[in-house]
Amino acid sequence: MMRPSALFALCLALLCLLAVLLLAQGQRLRHRENAALGRLLVATSALGLTDLALSTEARYTRHPAVSDPMAPFMDHPGAIEHFPSGVFWAPPPR
Amino acid sequence: MAKRGIEKQLNILDYALSSLWRRRTKNLSILLVFSAVIFLVASFLMVSKALSDRAGQLLVAAPEITVQRMSAGRQEAIPLAHGERLQGIFGIRRVVPRVWGYYFDEVTGANFTVLGVDPLQMPGGDGLATALARGRLPEEGEAGMVVVGQGVVETLALENRQLFSLFRPDLSLKTLTVSGEFAKETGIMTADLLLMHPAEARDLFLIAPGFATDLCISVANSREIETIARKIAELLPDCRVLTRPQIQKTYQVVFGWRSGFASICLLSAVAAFIILAWDKASGLAPEERREIAILKVLGWETADVLAVRFWEACLVSGLAFLLGMLSAFAHVLFFSAFLFRPILLGWSVLAPGLSLVPALALGDFLLLAAFTVLPYLAATVIPAWRSATVPADSALGG
Amino acid sequence: MLIALENVCKIYNQGQANEVRALSGIDLSVEAGSMLCLKGPSGSGKSTLLAIIGCVFPPTSGRAAIAGKQLARLPDRFLTIHRRESIGFIFQKFNVLPELTVLENITLPLLPLGISPRERRQRAKTLMERLGIAHRENFPAGQISGGELQRVAIARALINRPPIILADEPTAHLDTPLSREFMAIMQQLQAEGKTIVIASHDPLVFEHPAIDRQVAIQDGRIHVP
Repeated sequence: MMRPSALFALCLALLCLLAVLLLAQGQRLRHRENAALGRLLVATSALGLTDLALSTEARYTRHPAVSDPMAPFMDHPGAIEHFPSGVFWAPPPR
Repeated sequence: MAKRGIEKQLNILDYALSSLWRRRTKNLSILLVFSAVIFLVASFLMVSKALSDRAGQLLVAAPEITVQRMSAGRQEAIPLAHGERLQGIFGIRRVVPRVWGYYFDEVTGANFTVLGVDPLQMPGGDGLATALARGRLPEEGEAGMVVVGQGVVETLALENRQLFSLFRPDLSLKTLTVSGEFAKETGIMTADLLLMHPAEARDLFLIAPGFATDLCISVANSREIETIARKIAELLPDCRVLTRPQIQKTYQVVFGWRSGFASICLLSAVAAFIILAWDKASGLAPEERREIAILKVLGWETADVLAVRFWEACLVSGLAFLLGMLSAFAHVLFFSAFLFRPILLGWSVLAPGLSLVPALALGDFLLLAAFTVLPYLAATVIPAWRSATVPADSALGG
Repeated sequence: MLIALENVCKIYNQGQANEVRALSGIDLSVEAGSMLCLKGPSGSGKSTLLAIIGCVFPPTSGRAAIAGKQLARLPDRFLTIHRRESIGFIFQKFNVLPELTVLENITLPLLPLGISPRERRQRAKTLMERLGIAHRENFPAGQISGGELQRVAIARALINRPPIILADEPTAHLDTPLSREFMAIMQQLQAEGKTIVIASHDPLVFEHPAIDRQVAIQDGRIHVP
């Protein structure tokens, strides 16, 4: 019978292998992303883009960097909301 | 002798493992909860770092200076004459007017960004065709030609048709022809874009010919951005002047406060868990006392008994750390952190295609370990000193 | 002399309100290879005396030399090391850990010595075969009978090959046949040269022919009738 510490070392080694595989996959995806980086930078520079298209529901969330400082103020005078579209989850469909 | 020492630690490790296994229900649940806590904190750290890294990577290409006209605290259309007044400032390479705005599509409920700019006037504009997945850029004077982002293609179901129509403010229809699509990989910047010539955008929004939404300014020497921005602000007092460093900073702030807010919530979860662990570890159950007394009278030194406790805590917390980190990594990598997207990104009808690659430096790793594993070790190993006070002779007698 | 006690006193909680004088003025010497029975009612101090002989703690005053070492001079850590090299304990309730298997229980004293699993099993196997519990090797100790439990306790006491075996009321939880069997095993061990000290007030033990000497303890002193 295997001693418990050897069994544990085996499990640990398997987990580490999994970690290495995950990291390798991450590295692969990063390479892919970096390959796209050139096109992204061209698009950004050629179109003068100032913001990431992460949330599209309000101008102060679509373009937080260039929307005027009063934009969130229209929703509510005290709103300091910056990024998500006001709340975390979408309003129910009409 | 060194071999004996290693064998002894292995034996104690064996004993710790089998004693963990004997109380497996309790220990597995601790492991599970601890991994879940680490998973939450780590996913959050990874996704917010991946996002702000991405923003940092991309926004180096943002326009050096953007000029907007402000009126009554709001942004208004800027006259093209403003741009001509800037030509005199030394160091400005070009001034490009852009007409852009938002279009809300009633049917799908999505917001698009309509961008009217002539790429050929912009720095790097002649290479823009490489960012397209198919088709071409509209030529000068071509009416109704538009390049769309992949999010727009999906939302308007443009896969198999070229023509679609948008409403002008007076509810007349403007028909547009898709001349090209942005590549999917550029989605993080272009997903919701409708790119057309400035004249077409003016036609869609019914903006008067002599006006633009803002002016993009590129400078000859990027070290002079601040100086030139100050000169512009002096020349055009009714305008807001945004510089590239300001834009980059906005993003650090935006992700910063959201992730800071969530981190505090999550850290309180960590604290709660540590308190629980302390509570569990500090009491010595009668059967544990008995076990310790037996081991001691059989010739285990106090240090050996403590080593068992130490190994147990190390195994549980190390394993939980590894499991939590791995699942967080997978969560961000394969599922784009779907658990946290509502908190970090909010909701969107037009979902921007987002692929995140978590990048954790050694420093983040250590920080996370310092906030989770170390307190757990402290909370479980320090009370183990109590076991040192169990006298060996309590195993004797009735 | 393997065991030599001179004017040994033991006071628990010295200087406190709950001070207890457990032993006073004990003189006792035991030759190697003999079998001694400490008898006396519970609370008489036999367990304390056994603990001092077993190097669990040093006496409060007096001299105690066990297997060639003066206990008072040994720091706690070396007391432990001396204990595991010289003493094998058999406890009143056997003190096995019920969740561990028979093999694991028997080899517990070997773990801190850095002895490999294979060698541990070999040593235990010899003892288990000798004591007739080899078929119980992988049973949890909580699931075997009282007689087997007692053999497990004996095997555990012998696993370090100590010169001295101490037993504290070993027959208190055994019926007559099992008690006889226990004494028979002790007799064998004595024949092999072990020195055996048994604390018991069971006549089956102290009247056993193998006992070389009886020492009666009463109120913390050796009682001479």
